[in-house]
This record gives sequence, C-alpha cells and structure tokens, in this order.
Amino acid sequence: MKAPLSWLREYVAVDLPVEELAERLALTGTEVERVETVGVPAGEAALQRFVVGKVLTCEPHPDSDHLSVCVVDTAEAQARTIVCGAPNVAAGQTVPVALPGAVMPNGMVIKDAKLRGVKSSGMICSEEELGLAPKSEGILVLPDEWVVGDLVADYLPISEAVLEVEVTPNRPDCLSIRGLAREIAVITDADFEEDLDQDVPWGERPIHEDVSIEVWDPDLCPRYAARVVRGVKVAPSPTWLKAKITHAGMRPVNNVVDVTNYVMWALGEPMHAFDLSTIRGKKVIARRARAGEPITTLDGVDRVLTADMLVIADEERASVIAGLMGSLDSEVTDDTTDLLLEAATFNGASLMRTSGTLGLRSEASTRFEKGLDPNLCIPALDMACRMIVEICGGQVSVGTIDVKSGGVEPWQVKFRPARAHAVLGEEVPASEIESILGRLGCNVVDCGEDDLCVDIPTFRRDLEREIDLIEEVARIHGLDHLPSTLPGRPEGRGGLTPDQARLRRVEDVLQGAGLSQVITYSFTEPGTGDKLRLAADDARRKVVTILNPLSSDQSAMRTSLLPGLLSAAARNVSMREDRVHVFEVGKTYHPGADALPKEVRRAGMLLLGAWAEHAWAQVDLPTDFYLVKGLLERLLRSLGLEADYAPADEPFLHPGKSARLQCGGVVLGWVGEVHPLVLQAFDLPAGAVAAEVDLDQMLALAPGTPLFEDLLTYPALEQDLALVVDRALPAAAVIRAVSEAGGPLLRSVRIFDLYEGSQLPEGKKSLALRLTFRSGERTLSEAEVNESRVAMLVGLKAGIGAELRV
Amino acid sequence: MPVQDALLGQLERADLRTIYQEGVSSFEAAPDVEALEEARVKYLGRKAELTNLLRSIPELPVPERPAVGRFGNLIKKELEALFDVLHAELETAELVHGLAKEQIDVTLPGRSLPLGHLHLITLTQRHIEDIFIGMGYEVAEGPEVETEYYNFEALNTPADHPARSLHDTFFVGGQVLLRTHTSPVQVRVMEKQRPPVYITAPGKAYRRDSDATHTPMFHQVEGLVVDEGITLADLKGTLETFAKAMFGADRRIRLRPHFFPFTEPSVEVDVSCMMCDGAGCRLCKRTGWLEILGAGMVDPNVYGFVDYDPEKYTGFAFGMGIERIAMLKHGVTDLRLFYENDLRFLRQF
Repeated sequence: MKAPLSWLREYVAVDLPVEELAERLALTGTEVERVETVGVPAGEAALQRFVVGKVLTCEPHPDSDHLSVCVVDTAEAQARTIVCGAPNVAAGQTVPVALPGAVMPNGMVIKDAKLRGVKSSGMICSEEELGLAPKSEGILVLPDEWVVGDLVADYLPISEAVLEVEVTPNRPDCLSIRGLAREIAVITDADFEEDLDQDVPWGERPIHEDVSIEVWDPDLCPRYAARVVRGVKVAPSPTWLKAKITHAGMRPVNNVVDVTNYVMWALGEPMHAFDLSTIRGKKVIARRARAGEPITTLDGVDRVLTADMLVIADEERASVIAGLMGSLDSEVTDDTTDLLLEAATFNGASLMRTSGTLGLRSEASTRFEKGLDPNLCIPALDMACRMIVEICGGQVSVGTIDVKSGGVEPWQVKFRPARAHAVLGEEVPASEIESILGRLGCNVVDCGEDDLCVDIPTFRRDLEREIDLIEEVARIHGLDHLPSTLPGRPEGRGGLTPDQARLRRVEDVLQGAGLSQVITYSFTEPGTGDKLRLAADDARRKVVTILNPLSSDQSAMRTSLLPGLLSAAARNVSMREDRVHVFEVGKTYHPGADALPKEVRRAGMLLLGAWAEHAWAQVDLPTDFYLVKGLLERLLRSLGLEADYAPADEPFLHPGKSARLQCGGVVLGWVGEVHPLVLQAFDLPAGAVAAEVDLDQMLALAPGTPLFEDLLTYPALEQDLALVVDRALPAAAVIRAVSEAGGPLLRSVRIFDLYEGSQLPEGKKSLALRLTFRSGERTLSEAEVNESRVAMLVGLKAGIGAELRV
Repeated sequence: MPVQDALLGQLERADLRTIYQEGVSSFEAAPDVEALEEARVKYLGRKAELTNLLRSIPELPVPERPAVGRFGNLIKKELEALFDVLHAELETAELVHGLAKEQIDVTLPGRSLPLGHLHLITLTQRHIEDIFIGMGYEVAEGPEVETEYYNFEALNTPADHPARSLHDTFFVGGQVLLRTHTSPVQVRVMEKQRPPVYITAPGKAYRRDSDATHTPMFHQVEGLVVDEGITLADLKGTLETFAKAMFGADRRIRLRPHFFPFTEPSVEVDVSCMMCDGAGCRLCKRTGWLEILGAGMVDPNVYGFVDYDPEKYTGFAFGMGIERIAMLKHGVTDLRLFYENDLRFLRQF
C-alpha cells in the first residue's frame, strides 16, 4: 500500500526523517518496500524553482501555428517570456511556472532556450508535468486567489515522499492512511488525531423516498449502509484530490469515483457509488448470485457467477459483484446526477473464494477479505458525503439506510504480565506495557494480581487473545532489547537416525564414484509414460495429478527418477557436455487406496559418455551395463547388501542388456542400457546406461550394527579354477553351483575372467574363478582344500555339466 | 682399515699376505658391481689361488697346515665380508644413479579419476542439519503430498484465513495438496511425541509460482522446539548461533516482527550482510541486512490440535529456504540454476 507522507501527517504528528520512520516501521513489523519521492525532487532549493505566475499577455508565436508566446509575471523584477505549447493557455490565468534550473519529475532540467527564434525562460506546467496526475491535457490553471510569486509547493504536493508498505494479512487496519498513521503514532509515541468529523451537510428529502435496501444473505453481508446524494455534477477532480489519488498509486477517474477511492484509502473502508437512476425498482438487494447469472464487469469482461457469490442487485439483475467490481451499466458516468453511496461489510472468506474463482482482485477485495471492522461504514459515509457535497455539489438525502445483523462492540482480553515474561524471556516494565496498550487504543484496567483487563478497539480484530497482546508489547517495546539465550536442553540427544545416516552414505558413495547429484522437479509431463514406452497397464502410469499445474508439462508427479535424469542429461548434452554422469536421490509418488499417495525414496543414476575425463595417459572404461552394475554393487555393498540380478523386461531398457535386482526376495530396482527409442524421445544420443533402486526397501534390508568376524587369525587360502560350461549358462548359476558344491570351507567365489573363443568347443565358454577357502578354527592346508575341490568338481559336472578347463 | 692392518701383522706367510693385499685393493678398486664380481671370482672363486691353497692343505707338510688353514680361512672370511659391504654400496650407488636418470615431467596432470559432486542444496541442507544436531536436535521428515489439515488447518490457518491467499497451492485432490512449506512436519511430530521436542525437518515444498525469484519446487528446513520455559529470547539466541555457524562468527542478527498464522509473536530474521558487514552494499540493497528466515513462538492454537497444554509448554518454530541460504553463502545469483542441473554449475561445489 502506498502512503503519501503528507497524507499520513494529517493524522499523526510525526516529524522523523522519512528514512528513520521507514526503519522504525520495518523493525516493528510493517515492511517498507521503498520510499520514493513522487513529483519534483525534494529539497528547498528544488522547490523554489516552481512558483505561481500570472499570464499577462498571450500571443500566437510568429513562426508556429501551435505555440504561444506568453509574458508571465512571477513577482520577479521583470516579467518572463515563456513559449507555451498548450492550447488552453490564455492571458489572465494563474499558472504554475517552472523557472530555469527547475528539475522536472521526469528528470528534465528547464533552461533558457530559444523556441523557433523566440527566447523562452521557463515553462508553464501541466498536472502531469508536476506529477500530480498520470495524464492531463493542457496546462494547469490555478485559482486566481493564489499569490503570484508564492511557491507552488505551498499549495500543491508537487514533491511527495511516498512510503510503499507491505501490510501483513492480520492488519487490515493498516491498509488505510488513518490506520497506518495510528500505527506510526504507536511506534513513535507521536500524537494521533482521529479526525472523526461526523457532520453531514444533510439536505431535505428523506432517503426512503429514494431507495430501499434488503439484505437477503446476512451471512455474506453482515452490514450494508447506504446514503443518497442527488444533484451532483460529475467532473474531473480538483488538483489536490487528483494528486492524492495519483500519489496513492491509483488513477483519477472523476470527482465521485475519486472521492470513494479517497475514503477507502483514508479510512480503509471500500466504498461503491452507484448511479441511482440505473437501479431498477429503487431497490438494492444484497443476495447470492443465481447459478450462471451473467454480469459484465467494469473491465469489460463478461463473467458468469455461481450461487456462492454475493452480488448487489436491483430487482432485475446484479449490478456489482460485492466487494470486487461493479458492472458497466451501473457505473457513474459524466451524465450521472444522483448517487447511491454504499459502505458495507462483506464476509471475507466468501469474498476470497469468489475472488479466487473469478481470478479477480481489487483494492476493495484485498481489504474485505481480511475481515473489516463493521464500525467503519458510517464514518466512511460521513466523510464521503461531506466531500461529495463540497466537490461535486448536490444534496444528501436525510438518513442512512443501515442493514446490519448484530454489531461489533469492543471485547475484553486478560493480560498477565508474568505470562508475557514467560513467553518473551524478558520483563517489560508494567508501566510500559500499559503505555503500549493505551497507545494501541485499548482501554486498560487493573483486574487484580498484577493482571490487566484490556478492552480492545473494534478496528483491531486481530487482537483476540492474550498472546496477541504479548506480541504487540514485544514488537512495540522492540525486539532489539530482547536478550539472546539458549534453551536449556534437559534431556534427549540430537543426531541422525541410522537410516538418515545411511541415506547420506548413499549420496556419498555415488558422489565418491564420480557421479554428480542433480535435483529435478518432482512433477513431470503426463506424456512421460509414453516416452518411456510403458505398457497401458503399467503401474507407473498411475500418477498423482496436479489439478492446477503451472503448465501441463508439470502436471504429473513422477513415478520414476529416470525421466528427470534423462531430461537433465539432455540439457547438458545440448550444452555440448559429452560426459554426463549424474544421480538423484528423491521421492516418487504413487496413488493408492489411502488418502495420501505412497512416497517412495529412490536413487537413480544415469551415465552417458566416457567414464574418464578426456586426458593424457588415460585408460578408459567402457560406459556400459557392467560399469553401472558395478556402481550399483558398490552402492549396495556400502550398505552391507548384495543383490541377485536377472534379466529385466522393462520397456524403457535394452531388452538384452538390462537386469532387475533383488535382495531377499524383494525387487530393489533395475539397471540397464536405456532403450534407443526412449533416448530418441528425450533427444539423447545412444549409449546411456541407467539404474534406479528403491532406497526405502534397501534401508529396510540393510543389516544393522556390523559384528566383527575374525578373518585375521587363520589366513584364507585362495585357489583359481577355470570351468568350461555351456555358453548360455548364466554366470550367477555357475557361482551358485560352485558355492553349493564347495562345502563349508568355501567362503567366496569370484569370477575373474571369461573366455569365449576358438579354443573351446562350439557353444561353450570358460569362466575363471577365484575360490577363497577359510576356516575359523585352523589354518587350512592345500591338501585339505584339494580334497573339497575334487568333490566339488564331481558335483559341478553332475550339476551344471561343468568341466575343468585344461 | 685397522682390521686389515692387525691381520697383516699376524700373517706369517708372505703368499697369503700378498693374496690378501691384492684382493683388498682389487675389490676396492672395482668401479661397479660387474668389476667387483670379476674380482670376487678372481680372489674367492673356485679357481682362485686362495681356494686352491686351502684345497691343497692335506698335501702340505704337516707343520705348515695349521697356519695356512687358520690364516687362509681368515683371509677368505675377511675378503668375503669386504665383498658384501662393497657390493651393497655399489648396488645402492647404481640404483641411485639409475633413478636419477628416470626423471618424468611432474607438471603433467595426474591420471583423471572422476570426482563427483553433491548438489549445493544437499550440501547446504546437511550443513544446516549438522548445526542443529550440534545443538541437540533430531531430524524429522514428513510427506510432500499432504492434507489440507496438516498444511493449513492444524497450523492455525483455517479455510477462510487471509493468509491462505499468500500460498499459491498446488492441489492434487479433495483436501490433498503439495505441501506449501515444511511446517506440517511440526504437527506430525507433535502428534507422535510429547515434549521436549527438538527437531529440524528439511525437505521439498511446492508453490504455484515461477519467476526469477520463485521456483515451483523449493527446499526448506523447519525447526521446532517445544519444552517447558522456552522463550522468544531462546529463539533469538538459537538463531544467532545458527547464523554465526553458517555465515561466520562476526555475523549479527536482528528480529523484525512479522505475521505467520502458526506463530505468535512472529518474526522475520535478518543477518548482517556478509559482503559489507552491515555498511550497506548491493547485495543487501544498502540496508546492511539480509533476510534469512521466518520464525516465531508456536501459536497456542497449534497446541490445541496436538493436545499440548499451552500454559505448561511454550516453544518456537522457524523455517528457512535452503536455496536462499545457499545463494547468500556461495554468492549464487540466480535461483533457477539450482534446478537446471547444468554440470557447469553442479561441478563448482
């Protein structure tokens, strides 16, 4: 909200420099986004270059058909000659003159100049040129009673400091000049002038002859107050009013609308002015809209309303969406003579929904939706009536139509200073507490045992409870006084849980293996399932859908980390990165029977491009299935796990170069070369290998505290063995058979070579195995091991048809 | 060599003395292992004079035998010992000489072993977690797809609360949404646990907002302490400790009153600018202060939802954006970099 300083000073006698005021506001909870000078630069010297002048003569420019040559008296020794381009300039006018040296709001500096051969010394200004209105036509003609030679700044706010403040949603009272001034008075201890002038220049005709009002839905409209002013003349506002409206960040429209906006800004009560003649049946009804009821709002948009929206209607149709925007056909126009002025209180929650549904917000709705004080209605009407009669003329019909369902009276809150001490950790002196609460507009009485009974003024609807008052005391007393202490942690301990520590290890292991971590958005496009070639009934096609996504390509919560990794890789490839080795640890989201979807923590990795960076003396590893499988094995080993691998049939992986991994009967995930069609869909070159595992399952399977095993006292004995088996026999089957046949002393079997070549019979391969034998009780002898080896070979021949390679 | 002199004095036989003297000088003169080996063959080999002499003892006249045997063996032992010493010396010398020739260009880069990187958000999140773990906090977690109840209602933000309009919420179904902050974890923890509660809750949050300073997904760390006797001053001290640990021991903080539905009093917390130390610069927009987080005393209404006695327990909560902290600490100028996953960004941390 923009608050011109001079307007604030009409209510509060604050004389702090504006920067200090802004700082004080910021440190008491009202953020000041900026302080700007609107109009000409501030400062006495600058303002002295703008004076009131009188046009003595005004002749056409000899060499131009649109310029005039004016002689202007500015109460200096000599009258000035000023060439003026405005069509409305004329002799005898009192006008604002910018003297040479003046700096205009747009930064232009006025200089002595020659315009088409005529010397010009100064400029006659328009409202726009002085920053008093966003647009204006012609020069500004001032009242004749203004004294020639006086500073323009003595009459008009041509240089205004405007504070732009951010008001928190609990403080609708500060969405007004008066409310903000009251806040400034509280925090600076300055004098505050309420200015509740209740005088209304009543006319003679009773209001009941003009209009009647019915509130059909008091739940949405707790108060509806209205007055009628007849015989007004709609015209542009006087300059001072235009200036206020402009400096507050609004646009001047006409004197009637500007007055209603002025009152909203001054008091915080949004108002609406109807052209009384457009109200059919002389009756105003506040009612819920009919489902599908149409309205064309002031912004020219045709809108369709729903039955939970409040409208202000006449007997036939809705003319305003209450608190939001009026309709085109009830608008005040230049021809309007009779006004209905509305000041109402609408249900904030309902209005917020309406505003959300229609995608429409207004200065009025931002105030109403925070819950306004119904007691603002009458003062707002008073102020509006006074101003309209003064500015637009007319007669105020006698009486106020005021339909309300129950009033709001001040309420009482008990305040225990001891409790404030306990919450804040600082003892604010009782006298200061009372002073602060008093400045806030509360009535404070002692109610025994040091406690205070505090009557809350109705404009502070946010002060409902003791804790609300404690906050007020804390913020106004000043948080910079607050000591810094630490909680005395009496019991318990901090730290990561074992699973949290393991999750960090997962990241560390992958990073340690040379992969870089990415974090991709949890949402993806709905077409991801197609891109991954998932079958129609694949569970991963069942996604959590965002009903109101920012864009449709961010509307489905991911069910796999792979698409994000592929997209991240694609971005890097497009940036000419030829080595993309990345991983992500994050959740996937799976709808189920419960209210909330199942969230599964996963780790995914994707490798594309050479393993090692391109460098001298580099021996490279191929980036293939086995490399990524090796990374997975390493990851699992770091958690004390070992998995079984079997061919996978994931549609997004190479059918022959992919595996599913299992541990203890639980499927943990997959690893494999990404299917070329999937790579194409993601604009990636061939050769990407990926893996994804379910970390929740992995952590559940991971053994707890490792126990020491004595591998030191009795050394292990290693033997190598080359077996010739059918080429089709999976290595895992060979290892399993060897492990089973090897007897209790055989502790591990590792494949260290594979040979498939001409030295072997057709359809055979040779696997070289390193066998590790160990006993926990004695040092093994070769003879002992050879014995089990012989038995093993017999078993292997029978079991898998394996022959010893000789 | 004194041993040699003493030995020579004892040598009664001139031939042995000659052998010995010649052997010693020939060993000592050998310039390399090869020459030394030749000398060894000559003086100690199977066909050497000394060997022959010792071998011929049975054929010598009896009276000569003891002297030749004794002195011959003595010389042999001495020569062998000398050989060993010289051989070792020459071998070392040759090794040293050889190594000296094996000079490589040590300025060539080492073999490239790929180095991975944790995402800056992960690094920052861990740093924040670890600071609070050090102060006795545990790390709590909660779902990202949440109910309105946990995200709003139980945090004192009922459906008609004006604060809800501040949250541009992604909805996924009836009363189910993507959490707009990590604060719902507060409620979930308090439902399960009686005080004392000392937790941080890091995680993802989502808001329907995307521009230069907002991404629709972002990361927060929530903090919650509930215990007997917890005060706003404790919050201030805690956050001061955090700010110094994160941004340096010279940092100061200031609390500005603010509004959050689930804390009362509520504050925003600024840290003195690490670039200009509070003097005012471009980073802090000349204010000397940088906003880092929001916090406050847990609103008593929140305790109503988790059945804590608000007269007995007080507590504070805070929430900070991990991206914001990381940007300030590492001078990252564009929020969107965190989610573009460009390796040129990721590799810097």
